[in-house]
Amino acid sequence: MAAGDALLHVSIKAEELFSIGPLHFTNSMVGALLASAILLILAWVFVRRPELVPGRMQSLIEFPIEWMADIVSGSTSRWRGYVALVIGLFLMILVANWLGLLPGVGTIGLAHTDEAGVKELVPFVRPASADLNFTLGLAIVAFIVFVAWGIRINGVKGYLLELIGEPRYMAPLMFPIHLISEVSRLVSLSMRLFGNVFAGEVLLGTMLALTTAAVFILPLAFFVPAIFLGLELLFGAVQALVFALLAMTYITMAEHEGGHDEEHGAEGHGPSEESATPTTAHAPSPSAS
Amino acid sequence: MNDDEDRPDAGASKSIGIAFDLGLRLGIAVILGLGGGLLLDSWLHTSPIFTLVGMLLGIGAAMYTIWDVARDAMRR
Repeated sequence: MAAGDALLHVSIKAEELFSIGPLHFTNSMVGALLASAILLILAWVFVRRPELVPGRMQSLIEFPIEWMADIVSGSTSRWRGYVALVIGLFLMILVANWLGLLPGVGTIGLAHTDEAGVKELVPFVRPASADLNFTLGLAIVAFIVFVAWGIRINGVKGYLLELIGEPRYMAPLMFPIHLISEVSRLVSLSMRLFGNVFAGEVLLGTMLALTTAAVFILPLAFFVPAIFLGLELLFGAVQALVFALLAMTYITMAEHEGGHDEEHGAEGHGPSEESATPTTAHAPSPSAS
Repeated sequence: MNDDEDRPDAGASKSIGIAFDLGLRLGIAVILGLGGGLLLDSWLHTSPIFTLVGMLLGIGAAMYTIWDVARDAMRR
């Protein structure tokens, strides 16, 4: 049952592999670096020889980018300012989530005995999204962008006036309420992604451990984990989409908070767009074929 | 894919995002208010004043979140 024991080991925080001075290198950092490397390699392959008539591989890479760009282009007239961030968040989280479904991720590592004498497995790679540090980092980036976007569009005064609220004499009450509401966005973004991906990892580990015990019943040992792997594939994509869409929604809400709606958007202090009509000219389009 | 009819509805996408978000944010707003109040009380030794104030502010923030989301939806 040693393998089963190792699979059932659950650690909420990422395990440290080694440290260089004050820098502690964890297995979720390996997952994040691998996801980044995959995206960089795909980007390099994509921009190296883009075809006007895309092949299968090019279409496969272009599809999620164009799909997300089309969604973002319908949000506000200033969509070009944040489309790269939203697509970047989506692709990074998608790859990081799906990385956890590959064989060996979370299952190959070093055997380690803790202080209580319990033998546990420290995997070499852990899905980056199953570490709160990673999801909180992404949420902080999104938070800074939508606060900065709100300030850019409405000005510092407009943003602070929105935080203080109307009427002004209610400021001592409304300011902390607004502050809690703003911070709740940051917490909800990070906790949702971490909670869903970590729960998925625990579920997969549990199912693998349970069916390992019944390996002599071959259909059960193969099909039960396969069903959950399929579900995790879907949930990984959904969570990446939800995070990216919420980042987009918060940015557009920050734009609207100062009273700058679509009609008045071009009059604000923010970056003006040449056209309020969304096009997909920015994105490589498979429809060119 | 460039035709307007083929473009995914950004309004619907935003609504899906908000639906995923709202329930969690309500709970987090109350927890943040309550947690902040508890921390202040343990720091200033004024229990339970800031705990109660924090809880009320958290509930207020949760209600404000609903109003904020509804206002944004009505604008659209």
